[in-house]
Formats: sequence, C-alpha cells, structure tokens
Amino acid sequence: MKFTPRLPDENVNVSKTHPLAELAWLLGGLLLLCLLVFGGLGLAVDLTVDHLPPRVEGWLGDYARRQFPAREAAPLQRRLDALTAVLPPDSPLRGRIFRVRLSSDPQVNAVALPGNTIVIFSGLLDEVTSENELSMVLAHELGHFAHRDHLRQLGRGLVITAVAALLFGERSGVTELASDLFLTWQASYSRRQEAAADAYALELLVACYGQAAGATDLFVRLAAKKGPRPSRLLASHPYPEKRIEVLRQLIEQRGYPVAERIPLGDDLRRLLAKEVGKE
Amino acid sequence: MVEFFLQSPDLVIFLVLLTLGYAAGSLAEKRHYRSIEKRERELVRLAVVTAEGSFPPGRVRQAFLVSGSTVVSIDYFKRLLAILRNIFGGRVKAYESLVDRARREAILRMKAEAHQRGAGMILNLRLETATIGRNANRKKQVGSVEAIAYGTAVVFNK
Repeated sequence: MKFTPRLPDENVNVSKTHPLAELAWLLGGLLLLCLLVFGGLGLAVDLTVDHLPPRVEGWLGDYARRQFPAREAAPLQRRLDALTAVLPPDSPLRGRIFRVRLSSDPQVNAVALPGNTIVIFSGLLDEVTSENELSMVLAHELGHFAHRDHLRQLGRGLVITAVAALLFGERSGVTELASDLFLTWQASYSRRQEAAADAYALELLVACYGQAAGATDLFVRLAAKKGPRPSRLLASHPYPEKRIEVLRQLIEQRGYPVAERIPLGDDLRRLLAKEVGKE
Repeated sequence: MVEFFLQSPDLVIFLVLLTLGYAAGSLAEKRHYRSIEKRERELVRLAVVTAEGSFPPGRVRQAFLVSGSTVVSIDYFKRLLAILRNIFGGRVKAYESLVDRARREAILRMKAEAHQRGAGMILNLRLETATIGRNANRKKQVGSVEAIAYGTAVVFNK
C-alpha cells in the first residue's frame, strides 16, 4: 500500500449550521414552549375558576383585604343588602354574604375582591349623585361575582407569575416584573365581561327600584370628563361609550321604565361629608 | 424601552456578555482554524497512523514517544447554545468545533515535536479528551476541553 499525503476535502466533524441560525431555532422553540405552557395553564385556570373551593377563595380574600385597607360602612352595606335581597331565587349569589367596604383612596373606582368583598373608593363616592347610580355600581360588581370574573382575572395573573417564578426563580427581576405587570387586583376586564356584568346590574337595578333611571349616569359623566388624568374606573372598566350605548339599547328593548332618580339618603350624605369633607 | 433596560442591569450584562462571547469566540475560532489548516498543509508529509506497524530489522534507527496537548475554552455564546440544547436534546453543534479544534491542535503539536526530532512517521496514535471544569453549563464555572494526542515517532535509517 502506497502512502499518499493529502488533506481531507472537508471537515465532517463540525456541523455546517451557522451558530446564529441555531440560536434562532432554539430560542424560537423555547418561545413556543413558553406559549404552550402559558396557554395550557391559562386554559386550566379558566376551567378551575368555576370549581375553586370556598376555602381557597377565602384565603385569597384575606390576601386581597390586606392589599386594600378599607373599613366597614353601614350606609353602603344597607344599599348592598337591599340589592342582594332582590336577587333572583336561582341566582348563584343566593346564600352568600357580601360585604362592602369603604377605602379612603381618592381614586374613582370600585373593585370586586375574592371572599365576597366589594371595595368602594371614596373618590367614587364623591362622584355619585343619586341612590340609583350607587346601586348600579354595586350591582355591577355583584355581576362580576356572579360570573366569577374577579377570580378569572386574578387566576391569569397568578399563572403568569407562577410560570415566571418557575423559569427564572422567585427573587429574579423577571418574576418581579411579571407580578408587577400581571398580578394586579385592578386589571382590566374584557369588553365581554363588562357587558355581561352591566346587563346583570341593569336587571338587578330594575328589580330593586322597578325602573332603570341612573343606570348610565356615572359613565356618561366620567366619559364626558376625560381630562388629562383619565379616571381609574375607566382604566379597569374600559369601553365607556360602547357600554352606555349597549345599556341604553337594553333599556329600550326590554321596555324598562325610566322615572325619577332618588337623591342620596341622609346617612350617605353624612358619610360623604365625613369622608371627603363636603356636603 | 431604554428605561426598561436601565431597570434590569442583569439583562444588560447578559446581552453584553453574549455579544462579546459571540464576537470574540467567532474571531478566535476563525483565526485558529486558519492556523490549523496552514500547519496541517506544512506537516502533511509526516504520516500519522493508528496501526502498530512492523519494520524489517535495521530499518528503524530510533523510536520515541511524542505527545501534544491543548485546552480550548467555551465562550458565553456557545454556553447559551448548549444550555438551550439541554432543553430540547440533539447534537450540541456549538461544542463540535471546540472538540475538533482541540484534537487537531493536539495532533499538530505532536507532529511538530516529531518533525523537530527528525521522525519520518508516527505510529500507534492515541487520542484522549478530558473536560476541565466539570459542570461547564453551571453558573460561574468555566468549561473547557483538553485533548491529548500521543504516539510513537520513528526515525528511519536513510
């Protein structure tokens, strides 16, 4: 055998793939994996929200109450009790005890928290001009309870935070960013959720007062007042114009009577005077 | 956008290291391959075989051990590729060139030694690799590969 010195034509031991192309493929795969996990868990949350044990919701409620320091307010509680008294007999909310609390926060907003608690901010109380309006706000939040939107919204935030904590660790900046962005108690509801809660509230309002006056008042006023500082209520409960329109259509379709608004009761006026220092 | 990067110094450091790793790593690899190919052409006439070989009496004047070894380190970019590979499985292409460079460099150093001492052939070539820094994919660990080539160099009688 004769030895012929020559070099091999090409290197078979090293892949020809460009490193950046490989990076793109791997990152793409990772992204796909994250999306699948995110979508899958989101779906799982949507399914489990309907079967969340009361014990877990109670625990979430305790946690939520710590985030929103507020106190009992008897005048508000009386309005809420009047609404829950006229709930239809087959309502899923029947038999649950709802509490309304007042927060001194000046923002114009109200939130439905886990554990059957509604928090009204004093800024909202300041905006309200009639009993009907206040009842509409309370009934709207009851609507979110009836459709379990308050849990659904929280569940998604929890899933994202959990995924971030799993991937990057609990103390990492990414997890902090994710929980800051997503684990919020006042995240926006979707247009569909808002419309459903509105329709629910309108029915309850009519059941309570026998007429639909004041259903759109607060939103008409807030939408008209769009200033340099948009109201927090509009931030967490978006699409005001669309909702006013839908509510008006509903009132017309169902032939609900619209009569006089009932002015705020004396107990509420006193509460308001104490809270925001004006009559 | 700028604010987001300012608030996450970890991410900025990571991206800088990644870019630096890619740029410096690619440059070093390209230069190393150029040098390897040049020296391989120069030493191509010195035959290296893995066979034991046997020669007629009087043909071999001298036989001795020659060896060459080299250590090549990974860079930040290659490590990221390998970590991502650990998720999906498959060939860790990022490390293939490292091992290839280490082996060829080790053989070249061995051949250079044999050539210097006037050998006409290297028999019985053996190649071994070892990792230095066991947990190369772990944080704060530098991973590198060592390749050692050794064989029996023979000097023939003219």
